[in-house]
Amino acid sequence: MNDIVSLNMAMEWLRGLLAGWLPGAFWVDLAMALVGVAAIFGVISGAAVVFVYVERKICGYMQVRIGPNRVGPFGLLQTTADMIKLMSKEDIIPCGADKWAWILAPILLFIPAAGVYAVFPFDNQAIFADVNIGVFYVVALSSQATLPFFMAGWASNSKYALIGGMRTAAQMISYEVPMVFAILAIVMMAGSMRISDIVAVQQQGVWFICLQPLAFVLYVITATAEINRAPFNLVEAESELVAGPFTEYTGMRWALFYLSEYANLLAVSAIAATLFLGGWAGPWLPGWAWFFLKIGFMVYLFLWISWTFPRFRIDHMMAFGWKVLLPLALGNIMLTGIGIYIFKTLN
Amino acid sequence: MLGKGLLKGMKVTLKHCFGKNVTVQYPEEKLPMSPRFRGGDIVLDNDKCIACGLCAMACPNKAIELQSMMDEAKKRHLTKYIYHSGRCLYCNLCMEACPTKAITWDKNYENSCYFHEQLDVDCLKNSQGGAKDE
Amino acid sequence: MPKAQTYILNMGPQHPSTHGVLQVVLELDGEKIIKAVPQMGYLHRGIEKLAESRTYPQFIPYTDRLDYVSAMGNNLGYCQTVEKLMQIEVPERAQYLRVIMAELNRIASHLLFMSSLAIDLGATTAMIYGFRDREDILDLFDMVSGARLTYNYIRIGGVMADVPVEFVPAVQRFLDKFPAMMAEYENILMGNEILQARLKNIAVLSGEQALAFGLTGPLLRASGVDYDIRKIEPYGIYDRFDFSVPLGKTGDNFDRYVVRMQEMTESVKIIQQAIDQLPTGEVMAKVPKLIKPPAGDVYHRIENSRGELGYYIVSDGTPKPYRVHVRRPSFINLQMLDKVCRGLMIADAVAVLAVLDPLMGEVDC
Repeated sequence: MNDIVSLNMAMEWLRGLLAGWLPGAFWVDLAMALVGVAAIFGVISGAAVVFVYVERKICGYMQVRIGPNRVGPFGLLQTTADMIKLMSKEDIIPCGADKWAWILAPILLFIPAAGVYAVFPFDNQAIFADVNIGVFYVVALSSQATLPFFMAGWASNSKYALIGGMRTAAQMISYEVPMVFAILAIVMMAGSMRISDIVAVQQQGVWFICLQPLAFVLYVITATAEINRAPFNLVEAESELVAGPFTEYTGMRWALFYLSEYANLLAVSAIAATLFLGGWAGPWLPGWAWFFLKIGFMVYLFLWISWTFPRFRIDHMMAFGWKVLLPLALGNIMLTGIGIYIFKTLN
Repeated sequence: MLGKGLLKGMKVTLKHCFGKNVTVQYPEEKLPMSPRFRGGDIVLDNDKCIACGLCAMACPNKAIELQSMMDEAKKRHLTKYIYHSGRCLYCNLCMEACPTKAITWDKNYENSCYFHEQLDVDCLKNSQGGAKDE
Repeated sequence: MPKAQTYILNMGPQHPSTHGVLQVVLELDGEKIIKAVPQMGYLHRGIEKLAESRTYPQFIPYTDRLDYVSAMGNNLGYCQTVEKLMQIEVPERAQYLRVIMAELNRIASHLLFMSSLAIDLGATTAMIYGFRDREDILDLFDMVSGARLTYNYIRIGGVMADVPVEFVPAVQRFLDKFPAMMAEYENILMGNEILQARLKNIAVLSGEQALAFGLTGPLLRASGVDYDIRKIEPYGIYDRFDFSVPLGKTGDNFDRYVVRMQEMTESVKIIQQAIDQLPTGEVMAKVPKLIKPPAGDVYHRIENSRGELGYYIVSDGTPKPYRVHVRRPSFINLQMLDKVCRGLMIADAVAVLAVLDPLMGEVDC
């Protein structure tokens, strides 16, 4: 069953089809690349649509209430209704705003959120770009998400937005360091930064979550901080700063920001599923089904944490990141190194 | 253990996530109001009313406006009874002041309207209109 | 050479977490507060002036709307003041019913405090749990008086009407459910390390400073001062009940929160004793139809959920009071905001406002 419904088979079939129509190999490759890009955007949009609904439903159930249930059966069309509403809003640019920085901020936020999908292993050999610096690419691109928040905060010409922007810069930069070190432990265990190698190592052995539980916990905590979810949502703390750096955005611009938040959530869950839970590997279901199941589990974990805890204060968060998580991450690397050395010596 | 409180909190939300919901899906299901519920418009029973004006005097906000006249048999009758629901505090003092219990609440809380004039209810017309239908 | 400058941030009357329409003008240096000046008055409705043109019983619905979350307490304070002026003796059953209502309202008010503290600090789920449990109390009040928030139940000389037959079993069911409720709040809020880090050792106010500001209620008790009017100057029949007064040790935000949680447990004890001792009898004394107190003035105070609620009534012998002044606890407690917020961060200012628990209906009157 794996071979019949795997993404690989679908890609081969499509390639064969295109080779019949297009003149040369170069054009076939170009067409396949464009199809891949379209598919990725499809996944992101689909994910955003699904996640808006799923988050509101799960949040509702945790709060002993039913989430959206009016628009469409079981409220399934809620996201569509939200999108239509957001698209029909008046486009207001605050006076005194730094116009180009303000306009570009949501767009620049969406680009890294979408760009990391290029290295996700949706199935066996179904990675858009299997570069041999896969993990490095992910980390480098996701750290670009800091700047648009700061741009939005500064360019809005509003004190609430400015405070939100400053907090973002501090938070996201501080929590990237432990995250990179947690991921580094995985790279050490796998011996390569290429995503398909990491998945292959887990397929032959055990999932890395069993070998690196501390790295997993660290990753979950730092990823929550990177995507600005509770308890680290002090960037857009609704009860203090109304909406942080995105206070002054309305309509479709705000929708883009919201979309990139969920794209980020999916990206971070996908990275966790790849690095810790074995990627697409799994018995008797097709690869992409396992991948999405694992992503679903990670997303549920993030949502669960998000809706239970109060939020941190800025200095607690910084102290926690630098004084607790970073030493733990470094200690984890040291232990991993010692473990690998002992393992190699014994074999 | 560090973080124990956090994990206990997560257990509570997990339990409620898969537990029962307590909300009621309005307007398909409506919660029942208690028998003493004070809400809606005033329903005037013109047969019981003796036009004494105690309800209007008891109201703190002058939400009841009434006029009466004396007929040949020296009996008072109501000529006008307007209930300004926009001014009403729903304090129940008027109902407690009425010696014949001629006014009651109609307990209909779904009475929002678009215009300010619709807040003034002519209770006398409603009570006579009801009698005519029967 | 660039110079650092302070800036003014307006946590304006429209803000998700200023507990009503309160404007706090913050002067900030980065994220640190230099000065916090509360501007109130956005909800001023002239209730004290309105009292001069209403008769004594007609004013009771207005007292409901002062501290609208603990309206029974407001009614109680006012009615006891008028009874003190007129030397009216309230029957036993009415006294017990008043105590039950006032303590139930204290629990409801503290549940609202907990919920709004939770949501101001970001724990939305805990807020919903608090409101879900408060609904049980509001249903009880609905059963008794017909309204959920502004009851007009406690009257001069007694209470409005006797409670229906199903009331006492319903209260007992609520009291039986209460320990499990508190255990859940303990798990999701009080034991939460993030919440403790947000509240512990923030905004410390010593006992002398609290007394100097004239604070009362849970804020004063959190700073360690043992001052509860129900014990010091018992009004009604509070001297017949056995309950303790929880005190805080350090006077920080966490103590203010814990003191209110413990007060809820004490209120449950009082209600249990009251239901067990509830006598039969009538619920209204023989008061004249037209209430005309003798000329003179009187001040009476009760321990409401937010502090000492006092009524000062000056009567000139007519059915309408000459002057009614309400000593509103939230109004006086709000003074400490500036002193306590200096040197804290914006997030802490929100937390301080949440544990201060001001009710703008009461602050502005």
